[in-house]
Amino acid sequence: MKKRTSLTVIAATLATLFAASAPAQTPAKRPNIVILLGDDLGFSDTGAFGSEIKTPNIDALASDGVRFTNFYTHATSSPTRSMLLTGVDNHLNGLGNMDEYTAPNQMGVPGYEGYLSKQVATLPQLLKGAGYHTYMVGKWHLGKAPDLIPAARGFERDFTLLDGAASYWDMTNFTAVAPKSVFTEDGRYLTELPKDYYATKTYTDKLINFIDANRGDGKPFFAYVAHQAPHDPFHLPKEWRNRHVGEYDQGWDAVRQARLKRQIEMGIMPAGTQLSERMWFLPDPTVLAPAARAIQGKKMELYAGMVENLDHHIGRLVQHLKDIGEYENTIFVTFGDNGAEGTDLFKMIAGSPGSRDYLFAATAWSQTHPNAWGDPGSYVGYGPMWAQVSMTPFSQYKGWMAEGGIRNGLIVSGPPVKRAKGSINNGLMHVADIMPTMLELAGASYPEKLDGKTLPPLTGKSWSKVLANQAESPRTEQDYLGWEIFGNHAIRQGEWKIRWQHKSFGKGDWELFNVVKDPAERKDLAASNPDKLKSMLALWDRYAKDNNVILPNRTMFETLEDQLPPRVPDDAGYPPLIYKKQFLPPKDMLAEPKP
Amino acid sequence: MNQNHANPCQPRAALRVAAAAVIALGLCQSVQAQVPGRFYWKSLSGGSAVPLIFESVSGNTNPFDSSHRVSAGAEFDATMAMAGYAQTFSLFDRSAMAAVILPMGRLSGEATKVVNGASVASAQQSASGFGDPMLEFDINLIGPKAQKTIPDAVRYEPGFSLDVLADLALPIGEYDSKQALNLGQNRWYGRIGAPMVMQIGSWVPGRRTTFELLPSAWIFGDNTNYVGQTLKTDPLFQLDAHLTRDFNETLWGSLDASWYNGGKATINGVAGDKRNDIAYGLTIGMQINPNTSLTFGYKSTANDSGTNDMRLDSFMITLISGWHPIIEGSRRLKGE
Repeated sequence: MKKRTSLTVIAATLATLFAASAPAQTPAKRPNIVILLGDDLGFSDTGAFGSEIKTPNIDALASDGVRFTNFYTHATSSPTRSMLLTGVDNHLNGLGNMDEYTAPNQMGVPGYEGYLSKQVATLPQLLKGAGYHTYMVGKWHLGKAPDLIPAARGFERDFTLLDGAASYWDMTNFTAVAPKSVFTEDGRYLTELPKDYYATKTYTDKLINFIDANRGDGKPFFAYVAHQAPHDPFHLPKEWRNRHVGEYDQGWDAVRQARLKRQIEMGIMPAGTQLSERMWFLPDPTVLAPAARAIQGKKMELYAGMVENLDHHIGRLVQHLKDIGEYENTIFVTFGDNGAEGTDLFKMIAGSPGSRDYLFAATAWSQTHPNAWGDPGSYVGYGPMWAQVSMTPFSQYKGWMAEGGIRNGLIVSGPPVKRAKGSINNGLMHVADIMPTMLELAGASYPEKLDGKTLPPLTGKSWSKVLANQAESPRTEQDYLGWEIFGNHAIRQGEWKIRWQHKSFGKGDWELFNVVKDPAERKDLAASNPDKLKSMLALWDRYAKDNNVILPNRTMFETLEDQLPPRVPDDAGYPPLIYKKQFLPPKDMLAEPKP
Repeated sequence: MNQNHANPCQPRAALRVAAAAVIALGLCQSVQAQVPGRFYWKSLSGGSAVPLIFESVSGNTNPFDSSHRVSAGAEFDATMAMAGYAQTFSLFDRSAMAAVILPMGRLSGEATKVVNGASVASAQQSASGFGDPMLEFDINLIGPKAQKTIPDAVRYEPGFSLDVLADLALPIGEYDSKQALNLGQNRWYGRIGAPMVMQIGSWVPGRRTTFELLPSAWIFGDNTNYVGQTLKTDPLFQLDAHLTRDFNETLWGSLDASWYNGGKATINGVAGDKRNDIAYGLTIGMQINPNTSLTFGYKSTANDSGTNDMRLDSFMITLISGWHPIIEGSRRLKGE
């Protein structure tokens, strides 16, 4: 026994010496970095996070890496993307509000430009300076002017949709005043799209071409793969539309329950986790007529197809990297940019009859027949019921500060990951962490100044120790995260979270949740735990001050309370009237009427 | 990001699709057995339809009796109406339809009396009243399963569909054995066919395109009192083809063709000529409302300039009203 121990020690010593001397002989090859971003991809939409949707390629990345269950984005697209690419809070990087909804009192205020401020450095900019090739494909949503496009913000090659959403088939956009989507390729604005364009496929093809074009020069690459999918409209090639026919007719409650069951079995969520409330304005699907369930189910069928198609093209990219021998040296970071989309965007875009946008929708977006869903000219999203499914087990969805708006499933794989393959981590992570993490892993650093301008401090914290299995979280119990968009705002510290949301999604007041014990945010503890609320409010004040948060004086939610039915609890089985089945008397008591 | 959450589960689209599917039940069995395109599209089981068909035919032979000879220089005119009833149902999980059609009307023309194979006299004749009612049964063999629920109807796309159909005419129509020109045929006859629908492209109202074929074989019993003689008719092969295309969600058109081959008539043992004729035509169809559809078609024989060539042309108008209890009930609830 003793002898064996000695041999082990010698072997370990030799290994250490060899490992230590290796860099001196051959400089370690810096890893490639691939950010795989799904647009509106929900927390539970991949197999790795409990979905019935088939995502074998994303699941394989999870099996090869680590999944994070406490990863936070922002509640909407461009704020998340701005923090991903800068590591700086959105109120300081130009996306204090979405460009589309800048409030009157935010106009002209630094940090609220509606595009990625030129006062911040970007991840590709710094990686490019550190010797990386930098590529981007997909959706940008951070500015359209020549000095704001990807080529001006650090990307060496790009094929980019500058808008926040668009047709997947062509250059059709949504409104009469902005009817055409704007694309760039390598810094030039496109007049037309490539032949056989389909967004998810074309983005993947372009990126593979970018990678191949520079192969062999010894430089690593950073690829920002900002897929448009599965954001609505659910445009999808025909062969991907009918992979789940009828499977979702069972309704949203059953699918949510099944996902949560798998999440608990997989260890994604702890035993005893409850589902969040079904939104009070949604029906119990079991009381709907088959036709209604079929139509609603078909929307989810299409969404599932969107996710599976996305996974397919991610698989093509991964396979290509394997084929060229780069897979083992590539870090993959995979997640969705915010909560799943529960709002009917098309209703908003199309306006009302008589408006110019309605006329535009009538000509460009009127393929409303269910069999046309997926075709050019069709616009289908899946509504709040399925968005809640995508965010199982969390409450609410995109745009809101409930967990369903800001929490997403994160997968990281690649050389820095020293944790057990396929493991699950519950550390408190944030999208702004990606910038410092990747800079560190790439051997680069965040400068105090760039081009003579002092850069704002990084919000995020590096994951390097977490990935290396040297820490469980990049944050201490005292560290906190903050959010604000459209006037909704929140703070999380440790197990606790406070949130303020417009009525009726919120109370128009602060709510307090223990999101570890109650991830579905069912029990507001604000009244019963005033001390904790007070300490959390102090953090909010600090966050707002540090990041120059200006609560908007106009928001899209300002009339929401008047549009929705009064909020009521979602007590299962209420009212009994609609669940009571036909009474069947005992057969031996049946009788014909007497004459 | 307005919160458009009101009534997120309204089944309007489903009902609209299903209502249209009910009316897809086309039924217009002509005595001449040519039907417009889209006749064999499938619809929701449990639906009913009443077709009213108006047909005006002109030519040099009796179009309602395939054994009738071409008469050089003769002119026939027929004005017919047909009424029927059809019911769709599910049988062994396949779409099926049963229908009955009753022809009625009047026809007139120059009929040639044939004795021992020779034309011995010709005279102007006419007939009117009810013809032989025809029963039809059709069941799908290849293609989507029966549409037993509205979700099935919503999801229906024919892809490639193959049916088998059987027709049987009951010899109870008006028949005058003293003359050659009749509405009834005084014999049993029927056919076996295999309707096919091939979907081309999307199955979206306004964009639907199909190529449809109906090969069939007619088999005739003997008429033992055909102007005092015995009429036998060989089996007659019929091939109908339609290329149909939506113009918009309520208007469609088709190019039609038909080919008849066989059907040689033998009268008292003296054989005549077999048929071998082709006709081309056009049809325009319109969905007037969710319950009612209308078609208007014209067809004319090709290569019919010779004296003994069959020459026929016809106008046909069909008005079909269909309904389904679920669709009707839902519409009442919505106050439409």
